[in-house]
Amino acid sequence: MGDRTPVTVRASQPDRSERIVRLVSAARQGSEDALGEIVTELSPLLWQVARAAGLRTSDAEDVLQTVWMRLLDHLDGIRTSAALTGWLVVTTRREAWRVSAATRRQLPADTEFLSALPDQGPGSEEQVIIDDQRRALWQAIGQLSPRCQELLRIVAFVPRPDYAVVAAELGMPTGSIGPTRARCLAKLRALLAGDLEGSSR
Amino acid sequence: MTPSEPGGITPADESLDEVDLELLDGIREIFQAADPMPADLPERLRFFLALRELEVEVARLSTEEHQPSLAARGAEMSRTITFDSDSLTIMIRIDANRDGTVRVDGWLAPPQRREIQMKTTLDSLIVASDEQGRFAFARVPRGTAQLVVRPEDSEQSETGRSVVTPALIL
Repeated sequence: MGDRTPVTVRASQPDRSERIVRLVSAARQGSEDALGEIVTELSPLLWQVARAAGLRTSDAEDVLQTVWMRLLDHLDGIRTSAALTGWLVVTTRREAWRVSAATRRQLPADTEFLSALPDQGPGSEEQVIIDDQRRALWQAIGQLSPRCQELLRIVAFVPRPDYAVVAAELGMPTGSIGPTRARCLAKLRALLAGDLEGSSR
Repeated sequence: MTPSEPGGITPADESLDEVDLELLDGIREIFQAADPMPADLPERLRFFLALRELEVEVARLSTEEHQPSLAARGAEMSRTITFDSDSLTIMIRIDANRDGTVRVDGWLAPPQRREIQMKTTLDSLIVASDEQGRFAFARVPRGTAQLVVRPEDSEQSETGRSVVTPALIL
């Protein structure tokens, strides 16, 4: 894909970053409320990170608890929203894989995650079209490599301005995560376009 | 995995176009619908973080079993939960009381006298374990709760650190 439109960062995003920085600084000074707001805002992302590593829900909850506890010791080193998100994602992922390896439980297979697509039931015509798109996307995701599935699932929940740092924190320098993620997305787009069999390399 | 150099990062967004971003939005919607975080999890995490102490050991949920209640009243089940930490195993059995509260019987291994605190969203109850490590809370309100096992005397004796369990739903 040669002609990609540059993405403009939405105007609300700098506000978010500033707000997170303020919250982190308040949490560092012991504000339970500030810490609570951060927990509420970023736990949905960390949930996906833990579940993408194949953890059962109860283990995922334990991992989130551990990670948030650990953050308390690391608040001093965190100065930006991206650094916070990056630290949380990489710590959650590492802890989730550790727990998953230690427990050696049967990981939920990809099939489980595929069958989990909620059945929306009858809806408006518009709803049906959205559901069809969603179903196609879901099936396409299921055909990606496990690594692509995990990567895209995590990245999809990361606040956009934090993408680059999180990508780097996931252990892939920007120079390679960009291509890795782009490759996963390109594959997904090809699958959605219908040329799955032929062009998979 | 080495920490990133904040200075050396160029925005990776440059490689994403609108179609990619829409796909990522779609992926987020799908996983939000298919595998949502439990709605009450942030509240439980906040609850847990609020009682952090300087020196605590965090116990992990080890096993949870349900069996017919020993009180044998109707189809009431009794839950047995085991938590493990580095220094201590905590086992509790939860039985329903007829007034809507629950009874919690517990054992510490290795057996020892400790102060046991049950934190709930309403208040916090304190009992002591005997030298066999046994303790009991006769009536605990249902809801989110958490156990904290403290050294017997608060003057931080050699009995060591406090142990906290994850928040649990009674």
